[in-house]
Amino acid sequence: MIRFFRSFLAGFLLLAAISQASAASNARNDLVAAILSEDVAQQTEMIKKLAETNEPIVVQVLSAWRLSGVYIHEADDKKIPFLLDAQLNSDGAAKGARIADGEFLKDADGKPIWFSQSDLTAADTNSKLRKTIKTTLDFFSLADPNLKVRRDATIKLGQEQNLDYIPNFEAKLAKETDKETIRALKEAISLTQLTDEKKETRIAALKQLGDSKSINSMNFLQDFLKKAKADTKTYSAEEIRQTEATIDTIEKYMAVGNFVGTSFRGLSTAAVLLIAALGLAITFGLMGVINMAHGEIMAVGAYTAYVTQNLFKEWFGATGGKFDMYFIVALVMSFLTAAAAGLILERGIIRFLYKRPLESLLATWGVSLVLQQIFRSTFGAANVQVGSPSWLSGSYVIQDVLFAYNRIFVIVFAVLIVYGTYLLLTKTSLGLQIRAVMQNRNMAACMGVRTDRVNMMTFAFGSGLAGMAGACMSQLANVGPSLGQNYIVDCFMIVVLGGVGSLGGTVSASLGVGVTNQVLEPWLGAVLGKIIVLGGIILFLQWRPAGLFATKSRSLDG
Amino acid sequence: MTRFLNKKEALILAAVSFLILVVLPCLNAFLPKESFFHISDFTITVYGKYLCYAVLALGVNLLWGYTGLLSLGQCLFFALGGYALGMHLMLMIGKLGQYQKDIPDFMVFLEFETKYPETGGLPRHWIPFRSPWFALLMVVVVPALVAYIFGFLAFRSRIKGVYFSILSQALTYAACLMFFRNDFTFGGNNGLTDFKFIFGHEINTAGTKRWLYIASGILLLSVYLLCRWLTSTKFGLIQRAIRDSENRVLFSGYATAHFKLFVFVLSAVICAVGGALYVPQVGIINPSEMGTEKSLEAVVWCAVGGRGTLIGPIIGAISVNAMKSWATRAFAEQWLFMLGGMFILAVLFMPNGIVGLPAQLKALKERFSKRKNGEETPPATPLETPGVKTAE
Repeated sequence: MIRFFRSFLAGFLLLAAISQASAASNARNDLVAAILSEDVAQQTEMIKKLAETNEPIVVQVLSAWRLSGVYIHEADDKKIPFLLDAQLNSDGAAKGARIADGEFLKDADGKPIWFSQSDLTAADTNSKLRKTIKTTLDFFSLADPNLKVRRDATIKLGQEQNLDYIPNFEAKLAKETDKETIRALKEAISLTQLTDEKKETRIAALKQLGDSKSINSMNFLQDFLKKAKADTKTYSAEEIRQTEATIDTIEKYMAVGNFVGTSFRGLSTAAVLLIAALGLAITFGLMGVINMAHGEIMAVGAYTAYVTQNLFKEWFGATGGKFDMYFIVALVMSFLTAAAAGLILERGIIRFLYKRPLESLLATWGVSLVLQQIFRSTFGAANVQVGSPSWLSGSYVIQDVLFAYNRIFVIVFAVLIVYGTYLLLTKTSLGLQIRAVMQNRNMAACMGVRTDRVNMMTFAFGSGLAGMAGACMSQLANVGPSLGQNYIVDCFMIVVLGGVGSLGGTVSASLGVGVTNQVLEPWLGAVLGKIIVLGGIILFLQWRPAGLFATKSRSLDG
Repeated sequence: MTRFLNKKEALILAAVSFLILVVLPCLNAFLPKESFFHISDFTITVYGKYLCYAVLALGVNLLWGYTGLLSLGQCLFFALGGYALGMHLMLMIGKLGQYQKDIPDFMVFLEFETKYPETGGLPRHWIPFRSPWFALLMVVVVPALVAYIFGFLAFRSRIKGVYFSILSQALTYAACLMFFRNDFTFGGNNGLTDFKFIFGHEINTAGTKRWLYIASGILLLSVYLLCRWLTSTKFGLIQRAIRDSENRVLFSGYATAHFKLFVFVLSAVICAVGGALYVPQVGIINPSEMGTEKSLEAVVWCAVGGRGTLIGPIIGAISVNAMKSWATRAFAEQWLFMLGGMFILAVLFMPNGIVGLPAQLKALKERFSKRKNGEETPPATPLETPGVKTAE
């Protein structure tokens, strides 16, 4: 029984192989016939027919033919079309592979013939033929195993609005399983049907386009509307109305998509601002020190990411799993270097100025100038490139809205950082000490808190956060010597707006500023949007001078 | 009112003024070029620039050194004054511009003719600036108005200390971004330049330059005298009281907000007039002139020279700028290091600036000699400033 079954299976497989082989050889014969035919109309027909086969050789030969890469060898009064072999000999000549069977061409002695460039005769093509071949090749892409190629080909063919393609689309539609591609196919059919002669078909197509919310067909719909309005004889009023309705639907859909996309981008900008401002909220809010060099500490983090990336490139090459891990290491490293920079800054300068906050502003600005110049002389005045690791490049597409991975990462990371900071401030003994020093420095010192050490740690931690913000920034924006200057004003405004010394305030203020900036940007441009946000903050402080979440205090200047 | 200048001071002041206002211009005008004492036209313009910076420093100092308000926006007023006069100078170019049209070059370039066809390409608010008097009025009015509105809002909600600094910085930043925009009609990032005439005189002749220099000198002298007078009055006393303890002044029944607003507006006007004289001498005004870093630089001049004195900021402005001119030529790369370092050192080790240096050294010497004599001295805190307290 088993033996029978096995032999049956073997026979079946053999049969399948033979039929496949014969399909391939049929395709080869057809190709030869098409190439050798003298009649263009006949050639076109044959090529179109070839499109229905699913043979790789057809694609290969047709694309070669289109670029005049199919050659004719004449022997014994017979024309033999062939392709050149990729392998060249020392003279730059290559063997020719017959299209009819894939064997190399041989001379009378049975030795392979070597063709050099000068003695090749290309098979004839003309522009019409090339166009036909191109369309045929596009139809092949409709069956490409790669989803993206398939979708792109569908969209491209649909936009040609050629009614002849419809049966082809429908055939593919019956076989297609991928949802997005099915949608693209339907869109292509409807788009093509817009050129149909029957009014009903056109209206149905319009409705279908509206239902599938096809953004790609927007331009075509607008052209169609113009055409229809100009030519009211051919196009009825109902059609015009339907077109307008469809355009309206798609526009609304696009508006929603834009809004979601903008909000998402705003959210990610807000997330970076949040990490940066959180560091500032700690140094400024909790310690009362204005650190104008905070932006440069961010730049320290960004440049650390850059250096880490370069080191990884050197060690593990520019791609691959190990290189992709660089960003994780870079985040840690940027925290450490920035914290070290902050520590030096605090020990070297700021600790002498705790009682003179205005002067700490000036001294730290001096530091920021020095740091900027250091960046400039070390890394050059131009921006440096920090690439995204492969797991951060790319994006989700939901309802035609892009959600880039790196932006998602930054948002998630910001949430983690905020939570971590919250835990540090409320659940650890360092946090307890920080809060004690913040509330009453003298009293805390009397209770045995080493305020000097707490200052140091707090400042280093805040700077470390800024460094990580810089590393995140390197994924979204340019890294250059003036990176810090671009964000420092925003960060200060967020801290002031949120209310000094309040984590919740910083979070909500950075969300507010980040999202508002992004939402205003497309309407008013980046600059005007920023100006309005700044103006808005100044006015807001009229209403709540101490910020959104003011710490309540009975002290006069609290 | 007591006399605010004693005899000795008046004498010194007269001597210095004579040197700046009469001797230097004469050296420029009458000595032959080969002479060792000759001052070139270029140098006289550079000196004029320093004098304008000194006016700016006095404005900053009136606010910071005497009232305790550290504004990072004084360069905005400086630039606004400059822009107001610059607009007039732009319109005086006439057909001598590159495009040989009635409107300034940048308007032709930005196609204002199609944007504002009813006025031949000139935006409406530019038209009155054809009159020099209107322009001079605007040099004072516009900055005063901006300062009044911002100051009113800020002081009303009792924003002070570092918050005031941050907000004034934000204001400057916003204005700077605004002026960078081409459709804000002030020349975008190129600003206003290529001036040809000022009040009917050619701007690039030696004579005009000399007169501009003398005008800057006179301005500096009058601003100095004004500040000198103001700080010696009761008003000045309240100013300093606000600086040292605003709450006590408030509880004594003074509306500190009004005082602060007045000083803020006055300081803005001083800066603006300085800016207006600065622009014809350097020949250009653009938005980078009102960047926050410029304002901070002006604050450094005060800090280096010695704030809370009137002579200190002048010394600071002139010396730091002279050093900048020299250093940017000699070591262009290192200038930021030097400026930054100067900031840090001035703040850490010279809280009273150059003017306070002799007193500081004297105190140091006394302490040193006391210790030598075996006297017990309390651990000194040389970094603490005795006279100047900036915040509580």
